[in-house]
Amino acid sequence: MGAALAVDLPPVAAPVVDDQALIDATLTGLSDAFGELVTRYERAVYNLALRTLHDRTEAEDAAQEAFFKAYRALNTFRPGAKFSTWIFTICYRGCCDRLAKRKRLSGDELPDHADPSAGPEAQAERSDDAYRLRSAIDALPEKYRTVVTLYHLQGKQYEEIATVLNLPLGTVKTHLFRAKEQLRKALTL
Amino acid sequence: MMYDDDALDRALAVLPLEDPPANLHARIMAATVYRPRATVQQWEVWTLATLAALAMWLTWVALSTPRLGERLVDGVTRLVDAGGLTSLNTLMWLAVGISAAWCLSQITVPQRRRVEIR
Repeated sequence: MGAALAVDLPPVAAPVVDDQALIDATLTGLSDAFGELVTRYERAVYNLALRTLHDRTEAEDAAQEAFFKAYRALNTFRPGAKFSTWIFTICYRGCCDRLAKRKRLSGDELPDHADPSAGPEAQAERSDDAYRLRSAIDALPEKYRTVVTLYHLQGKQYEEIATVLNLPLGTVKTHLFRAKEQLRKALTL
Repeated sequence: MMYDDDALDRALAVLPLEDPPANLHARIMAATVYRPRATVQQWEVWTLATLAALAMWLTWVALSTPRLGERLVDGVTRLVDAGGLTSLNTLMWLAVGISAAWCLSQITVPQRRRVEIR
């Protein structure tokens, strides 16, 4: 009887905890909950910082700073809002501050080129379409590059992109349209 | 390869994100949940600094005022002689002052209001 019950059951998927529950758990003192939030978003936040700053070391610092600020202000997070939009907003503002500081220190235009310290993985994928697309994105002006990056990270959620960049919805759509035009031109050359 | 709008969207959708450095997660955790709590709060620093400034100012006043000790002793003596310290009004106001100070000391200092980012 007992052996008959010992059938192979499909593995039960772990319940997916939503971001709000993780935030609530963090606020009650569960450090693992914040660790899960970091795991979910560190990649996206790092990529946003990297695309904006074009510098791996600075992007790492900016990502850390964004999570630090988010952690300190976690009790002000509005229930119902999207954590991704919130953390991207914090990260983007931090990146803007860094760019402004960089501009002040250098006293001239910001370098608008890809990070020359790309690792061996980047060297290996040089022939890939992904590499070409990434290079084309890197070559875009900053305002277009950020819109495309957020479009990539957040999907087609224009309102969220507009919130992160603090731009009108129409401007986001225009920037995205022009960015795609430039990308298409760069990729079909 | 020609990229139309859909092809570009598809290419963007499958564009892999770059891996963050291996130690980024540990760095973030060390800077947030595992960060040691500050032993002194900011308002405590401000209070101590204010008290220190007040003490320095009083010291400066004491050093720059000639015969300050004598003046203080004279003043207190005159006050006692006039019966100021033993009058009912003075005692009542002293009691009110001490009560108010005690009540204020029982108030918990409110936490700084945080600014909502979004």
